[in-house]
Amino acid sequence: MYENKKYITIAWILVLPALLIRVFTTIYPIIETFRISLYDVKLLRGINEFVGFQNYLNIFQDSKMIASINFTVIFVVGSMIGHIVLGIALALILNMKFAGQKVLRTIVLLPWAMPMVVIAMASKWAFNNEYGLVNDFIRWFNPSFHLDWLIHATTASHAVIAVDLWKDLPFFAILILAGLQFISSDMYEAAKIDGAGVIRSFFTITLPLISKNILVLSIFFTMWRITSFDVVYAMTSGGPGESTALIAYRITTEAFTNLNTGYASSIAVVLFLVMALLSALSMRAAKRVDY
Amino acid sequence: MKKTKTSIFAAATALTVLLSGCSGVNSGSNNEDPNSGTTNSASGKQDEITLYTIQSTNPNFEAWLNEAQEKSGVKINWVAAPTDSDTRQQKISTILSSGDSSVDILEINDEMATSFKNAGWLDPLQDSVLTSDIVEQFPQGYMEDMLTSDKGDIIGVPSYSGYLGLWVDQKKLDAAGMKSIETEEDFVNFMKASTKDGQYGYGGSWEKTYVFNEIATFVNLFGGDYFDWTNEGSRKAIKFMYDMANTWKVTPVDQIADKYEQMNQKFIDGKYAMVFMWGTGNDYKEANRYGMDQIHMINMPRFAKRSIFTDSWSYVLNSSSKNKEAAIKFLKYAAGEEGELSGWKNFGRYPARADVASHEAVSGDVKVIYTEIQATNEIHGRPMLPQTMEFISEMGTLFQNYIQDQMTLDEFCTKAQEAVEKYK
Repeated sequence: MYENKKYITIAWILVLPALLIRVFTTIYPIIETFRISLYDVKLLRGINEFVGFQNYLNIFQDSKMIASINFTVIFVVGSMIGHIVLGIALALILNMKFAGQKVLRTIVLLPWAMPMVVIAMASKWAFNNEYGLVNDFIRWFNPSFHLDWLIHATTASHAVIAVDLWKDLPFFAILILAGLQFISSDMYEAAKIDGAGVIRSFFTITLPLISKNILVLSIFFTMWRITSFDVVYAMTSGGPGESTALIAYRITTEAFTNLNTGYASSIAVVLFLVMALLSALSMRAAKRVDY
Repeated sequence: MKKTKTSIFAAATALTVLLSGCSGVNSGSNNEDPNSGTTNSASGKQDEITLYTIQSTNPNFEAWLNEAQEKSGVKINWVAAPTDSDTRQQKISTILSSGDSSVDILEINDEMATSFKNAGWLDPLQDSVLTSDIVEQFPQGYMEDMLTSDKGDIIGVPSYSGYLGLWVDQKKLDAAGMKSIETEEDFVNFMKASTKDGQYGYGGSWEKTYVFNEIATFVNLFGGDYFDWTNEGSRKAIKFMYDMANTWKVTPVDQIADKYEQMNQKFIDGKYAMVFMWGTGNDYKEANRYGMDQIHMINMPRFAKRSIFTDSWSYVLNSSSKNKEAAIKFLKYAAGEEGELSGWKNFGRYPARADVASHEAVSGDVKVIYTEIQATNEIHGRPMLPQTMEFISEMGTLFQNYIQDQMTLDEFCTKAQEAVEKYK
């Protein structure tokens, strides 16, 4: 008993440094962010007044914030649908046996290895009407094609989602591929003997067996999308207008450009709560899915 | 027992390693060899500052730095500011607002100077550096509008004087059969004559935080007031920009995604006949497109009047600096003749001080056009408010909506006036 207590004490001593660092780098900022969110802090004007929950009420009356919420929803949903559909398709292709399969798997991962800021800055040029490689490619088939993608709200949104997909889709696919490789080929052979075709095998064997992978990956990829910031920061600066300003981008702008620290903190707290709620729901859903 | 002692030793070691990891972080600044004579006479300690600079990527930065160290007697460590304007402003705001003392001197632009001058983050310089005999050599209106706080403190030393000038492609001007652009009519005629075969008469950078410069320039040219959108001149200016893009189609709407880098590339490639641009043409020189027979600056045309904006990047002293004595030595050098001439020689920055600009070492076509501009134009600092970037961004968003027919002229003017009232 005494020995046990001693070991527990030692264990606590050992983890204490890590715990202290965690408290200082995570718990303290969260508490401080919540405290600041109750103040109207405008550093440039020297304003620092307690306003209670007024900043939270302002979020839902601020047209820029509403635009950010709308685009974030579109971005997350659009990007995740793309990830799941195209990710599975790509994983199935990579799972086929053909010459150069290993080389292809390596090449496919290259975009994921590049920093998003670099990709986004390059994409700003890629989607340019005059100099961009996207339009250059389209003009092979339609020489009269002209479109500056980043100046219209709709096409700019599509471009941002496309860039996000281009970067992270391969990683999603590779992780799905890992799940595919755990499926025994015996099951497909048995299904084939029973008369099932390729499509039926996919829906009755493949999809159910990788559904938990898809769900777990979707949870994390959704979280990353909700807090995405760098793609619009470097590619569109939230424009045209405010049409591609993701919530995380809005927080950064309010906090570090406009120096409205209190308001930025209130948006951050709301985003934190949304993330926590989604995480809890997703984890619960993941536990229930079991084939 | 032995096991327990080992565990405690391991814990202590882990803690020590962790704590040691928290200190002694290299600042990442770049240390150059100090020159001789850089000592603080009072304490015997070496004079040393850290400069947050936008010039570090300039090929002549090393030469400028050596000269500054030698002449000021201060060892200068430097930290490169981000090249992206948003990132740069965010970093500098964070440094100053958090009381970070790792940087002593910073280079800031007008947007930041306007935002920070009343925030108490910058030390006043009128008693230590900018004495009256020096201040009177700088453009007075600019010093008052941009660098003087509500309390009357002067917080920055302008490192140069720049104009948002009109740059033309001479070949296109010749092709249009025109000698110069003197009036609004000339301006419109040249735009129309040069718009053909996928090329445009006018190029802009209409990204939402950049377009502010051009809106304000046209407002000035039409005799309007950027803070009064009931003013007929202001309305005319914004309508003129709309007509350029949508009625006459002499400039592309596409450019609402463009910052200066995109605009300049298109101008260099011959897609535009003229642009408004800051500086002394370094980008065009690097592209071998600078010259009186190619791209060069001309005087502003007269619409309702001739009017031009001036700007600068100013050296400011961080209030949290621990090296103020050395920083003031550097600032005295920067505000002096040698400092201003070094900026001209190494960076092509036109001296802000009138007496230095008239120096024989400052010569060439830039001096000729700058002298003409000074003699014939109303010269203003740009219209800015304390929440500068927020205001600029909001006006830019409104402009982009108007240009894309998402609101009428009346709606634009009403909302623009609301933005002025909100941020003033």
